[in-house]
Amino acid sequence: MTAYLVSILTEGAIFGIMALGLNVIWGWSGDFDLAYYGYIAVGAYMTLVLTIGPASATPPAQYILGLQLPYPLAVVIAVITAMAVSLVVGSIALRHLRGIYFSIVTLGAVYVMYVIAGQFVPLFNGYNGLSGLFDPMGDVLGLDYNSYQYFFLGLSLVMFVLVYILMARVSSSRFGLALRTLREDERAAAAFGRDIYRLKLKGYVLGAALGGFGGALFAAYLSAFNPSAWAPIEVIVLYAAVLVGGRGNIRGVTLGVLIMGVLVQESTRFLPQIPVLGDLNTHHPQVLLAMRGVVIGLVLVLFLRFRPQGLLPERRFVDRQAAPDITPRIITTNSEASP
Amino acid sequence: MSAPATTSALEVRGLTKRFGGVVAVDGCSFRAPLGQVTGLIGPNGAGKSTAIDLISGFKLPDSGTVLFKGMALQGLPPHRISRLGLMRTFQSPREWPGLTVLENVVMARWDSGRESFVGGLLGLRGAQRNTAADELSRAREILDEFGLLALRNERAGNLSGGQKRLLEFARIRMAAPELVILDEPMGGVNPVLGERMALAIEAFIAAGTSVIVVEHNLPFIKRVTEHVIVMAQGAVIAEGSFDSLRSNQDVVDAYLGEMVT
Repeated sequence: MTAYLVSILTEGAIFGIMALGLNVIWGWSGDFDLAYYGYIAVGAYMTLVLTIGPASATPPAQYILGLQLPYPLAVVIAVITAMAVSLVVGSIALRHLRGIYFSIVTLGAVYVMYVIAGQFVPLFNGYNGLSGLFDPMGDVLGLDYNSYQYFFLGLSLVMFVLVYILMARVSSSRFGLALRTLREDERAAAAFGRDIYRLKLKGYVLGAALGGFGGALFAAYLSAFNPSAWAPIEVIVLYAAVLVGGRGNIRGVTLGVLIMGVLVQESTRFLPQIPVLGDLNTHHPQVLLAMRGVVIGLVLVLFLRFRPQGLLPERRFVDRQAAPDITPRIITTNSEASP
Repeated sequence: MSAPATTSALEVRGLTKRFGGVVAVDGCSFRAPLGQVTGLIGPNGAGKSTAIDLISGFKLPDSGTVLFKGMALQGLPPHRISRLGLMRTFQSPREWPGLTVLENVVMARWDSGRESFVGGLLGLRGAQRNTAADELSRAREILDEFGLLALRNERAGNLSGGQKRLLEFARIRMAAPELVILDEPMGGVNPVLGERMALAIEAFIAAGTSVIVVEHNLPFIKRVTEHVIVMAQGAVIAEGSFDSLRSNQDVVDAYLGEMVT
């Protein structure tokens, strides 16, 4: 039971970092980015090829680099790689395209990434993927298998808190407010001096950096990564977490991760098993996975219909200072001003 | 440069824009005097809105030049033109609906240093706070001028149509550009609010902002402008004071004749 709790909390913290990154792109900048999981995958793959060492002939494996760098250094390089890929995708997709057209281009981009990673074997070992990152930093710190789980939980939580604090700063900064003006009306943002393309691109690369960072942690948690870890449902779960919690509100996003990423995802485990017809002892293993998708889809639909702003709507700056009395007034106030 | 840029807030020469076979703006040339209110009128389809888009960089002209403070603006993107001090409003108010009224006014002022990403992350140069104290008090003052102070924490999207027009003016007051082009500010506005807008335009001039106003409401044009430019079929057909234009047969035929005034 403890091991189970440790694992879902670790997963939740990593998932939270990913969701906070998506919140920059979709919550603040306002772009429905379907390539987001691609940056997570780039972060995960790069972490693995930088740490697991050269490919072995038995079982046959092929991949680039094959270095044995210290895990923290690998994470940094993985994040930079994810940022570089997002810069390429973003500089194409964000230049002129918005709304559904932007989403289609990012869908195309992530599909290209997915096919290359899955089919071009010399890159990341194709469909078999990469494995072998066991307990990074564990040997240096002298941790055994059991204590390592706690260490990695602690590491993930600390990283989540750090990312949360940084995002809280961005959220209340002028930069964060400028990103929101793009979401609200970008022609007006341009009319008041904002370079919408560069501003959106900065937000996009920042979000992708968090995605890549989440992926780098995820690779260590799973100790492996392959195209089957990269299913479309994963990005839907991330969007669901941001939507349910509250788009644009980092507290909301954290709550959304707890609900969608941890509660819904884990509770579907406890649904009754459905036995194979005529044989009560064997069950359909795929039913559980399918039920998870059904529950997430249902929650998404209900929220979109009844509470599209999420559980904790985006908080706005509230000016509590008493109104100053200003004289002389150029334009007199009268009852006309009220609606 | 042959033009004495000191006396014109804006000079447009031979501006042309085609959409397929339609010539929306056809060799349009005019000058807007510095420190004055210039009216830009003309029938629907005269090319006024396209001309504004070309001047403010939201559309690229096929040919022609736009001179502002002695600089050629054509080809520059909208944010660059805005940063140089030439701003515009839109036919339908474009507030940031999800932000508060106060945030809308504060964000009308672009600030390169404080809006930097690294500054925001590290809290450099006061960039951590999205609103600086002096900026806030200035925004409050402006909102008070426009009678919107009580609504400052309201989502801008919840305002009435007339209030959104006032907010648009308040944002221009905050940004304090050298020239503003107002695109049909009286659209859907009642006469009492119209008087308030006329006073606001006078306040723009007093604050050193020259004004170009595109409007179909001729009493309003007569009330606020010193100089009027008449466009028809993509080109300027006449200019002068409002009263002188009423005796101009071309103008009456093209536009004023349709009006009851």
